[in-house]
Amino acid sequence: MLLHRVVTLMVTLALPALAHATPTQYPLALQNCATPLTFEHAPKSAVTIGQAGTEMLYALGLGDRLVGTSLWFNDVPVQYKAQNDKVERLADNDPSFEAVIGKRPELVVVQLEWMVGPQGVVGTREQFHELKIPTYLMPSDCEGKDNLVGADGTRMQPFSIDTVYKSISQLAEIFDVQARGEQLNNQLKASLEKSIASLKGKDLSATSALFWFSSADMDIDPYVAGRKGIPDFMLNTLGVRNVVESDEEWPTVGWETLAKANPTFLVIARMDRRRFPADDVEKKLEFLRTDPVTRNMDAVKNNRIIVLDAHGMQASLRLFDGIETLATAISRHDLPK
Amino acid sequence: MTARLITAFAACTALLLAVLAGVAIGETPIAPDVVLQVLANKLWGAGHALDPIDEGIVWNYRLTRALVAAACGAGLAICGVVLQSLLRNPLADPYLLGISAGASTGAVVVAVLGLGAGAISLSAGAFAGAICAFALVILLARASGPSGVSAQIILAGIAGSQLFNAITAFLITKSASSEQARGIMFWLLGNLSGVRWPSVWLAVPVAVLGLVVCLWHRRALDAFTFGADSAASLGIPVRRVQLLLISCAALVTAVMVSIVGSIGFVGLVIPHAVRLLAGTGHGRLLPVSALGGALFLIAADVLSRTLIKGQVIPVGVVTALVGAPVFALILIGRRHAR
Repeated sequence: MLLHRVVTLMVTLALPALAHATPTQYPLALQNCATPLTFEHAPKSAVTIGQAGTEMLYALGLGDRLVGTSLWFNDVPVQYKAQNDKVERLADNDPSFEAVIGKRPELVVVQLEWMVGPQGVVGTREQFHELKIPTYLMPSDCEGKDNLVGADGTRMQPFSIDTVYKSISQLAEIFDVQARGEQLNNQLKASLEKSIASLKGKDLSATSALFWFSSADMDIDPYVAGRKGIPDFMLNTLGVRNVVESDEEWPTVGWETLAKANPTFLVIARMDRRRFPADDVEKKLEFLRTDPVTRNMDAVKNNRIIVLDAHGMQASLRLFDGIETLATAISRHDLPK
Repeated sequence: MTARLITAFAACTALLLAVLAGVAIGETPIAPDVVLQVLANKLWGAGHALDPIDEGIVWNYRLTRALVAAACGAGLAICGVVLQSLLRNPLADPYLLGISAGASTGAVVVAVLGLGAGAISLSAGAFAGAICAFALVILLARASGPSGVSAQIILAGIAGSQLFNAITAFLITKSASSEQARGIMFWLLGNLSGVRWPSVWLAVPVAVLGLVVCLWHRRALDAFTFGADSAASLGIPVRRVQLLLISCAALVTAVMVSIVGSIGFVGLVIPHAVRLLAGTGHGRLLPVSALGGALFLIAADVLSRTLIKGQVIPVGVVTALVGAPVFALILIGRRHAR
């Protein structure tokens, strides 16, 4: 997979690249989600809240600085397993405030603002900053997004992939590994370009798609990807239209509306979570093929159903794998004009 | 007798029209003639050539939804009548016996703790939770003293509800993410989007059976209006009738909650509204309440799908939002009519 290639590439390129990288000038001052941060030196230890940040630090080769991880969604990628086994997992879900500060970290890397933010379940940023523990919040979850409105927050601006690049370059700057950061970003950008290029020459003007994440009960209105969120970004990047028009990140929309919209592709999420029956990809397929309405949708009749890992729909390194999977699947089908 | 027949005929017509309206109005526009053609195809094989998606939506989504809404509305309304009469408390509603609190706990145990690893649906969890809560409430009421005292049942119900609400809150705080809690709340606030034919075959017979059992005991219910002592002096086996009717109400409510979530307001207010309009004799009160509940919930469901375009409001929100002012108007109008 992509991550594996990134790592291999970095091992071969990192040393020569490091040689001519600009080292970070300390004290380093930067703005992070409307909060000024200052670093006197590179943090010697860090705690992560959220798997996206954990994996970014591993990809930047900073695994030895990690003293605690939390908020896991999936298994750690195999190439980081050995490193990850050495790091204490503070909690599978949200850690307590004291569990985090108990590690005396010099930085806390936070994926989601509802974990650490104005209404953070772990704490507010001020609580950490009073203890002289800086917090770095992923720009993907704060820029153009208001997390105090709506259950999953509301995006005012469509998700921008630049926020992912930005978190990598800023983390690289904070830890003084800028060459590695640059390398990683270039690799990710190249991967994105490759995915887009793989659909070059295809006429996608009449192609649409629907992202089905899960449903609270099998037949109930499903959670689908709305406008402005990450799945919508993935579709836009490839030139495919999202049939859902809500601005919420994950609205529930009735099957009546979805069936009438009749998307060219159905993208269904695969996940390890088993909270609702519809978390299981097989259950989703069974529903689509047996429900008297959905079985008549063009995507189901022509088997244009794409299975995508749910973690590929998060603002993380895995997003690039997700786009690659999507592009490959779309390029395999003959598309309606 | 003819007057009765006319009333019954009018009631059936009203119900039929309401179901038709529920089938014709939905999230997306489907022409009325298409709707009628679908019904003709399905009911007597008229053989119109139609888009299978339209056909599926009308027959499998909208019709089932309207029928389940009718059954739930009717079921909840008769449960409200029975509990208000038996317990002689105007605030009694079907959720008084800890049923909705128990259903939440059951659903949360399934969704948050992952009981059954995805094989048990929220509905099954909710039903089991509701029955557990009800059993606990009844045991508590009996343990607290001689039966037949309505205050004990009400207090036991409150204690049971509080206990189960606390368990739910504890489980959510301990292990749920906000997204999980949202999924469960969304479901619990009342949702008719997931109903299909199996739900119809469950909800409609349960509502009809509930109505028949209650009508069978209409004279006992009339007697209970004057208190358990008066009922006993009329030769009614107080304890047996009370347990039977309360269990019946609890079962009907638990089934409805497990299908559509806890839709509030119907069971509390419809009986009062009907009493104001049709009198307090249970021979009339029960069927008219059932009809009123059915019409009200179909209408609320149609509104929930059309009030905001492209979005479905939880039907429980609509029932309270629309029902409360209507009820206020009935109360005021009744006073002026006197």
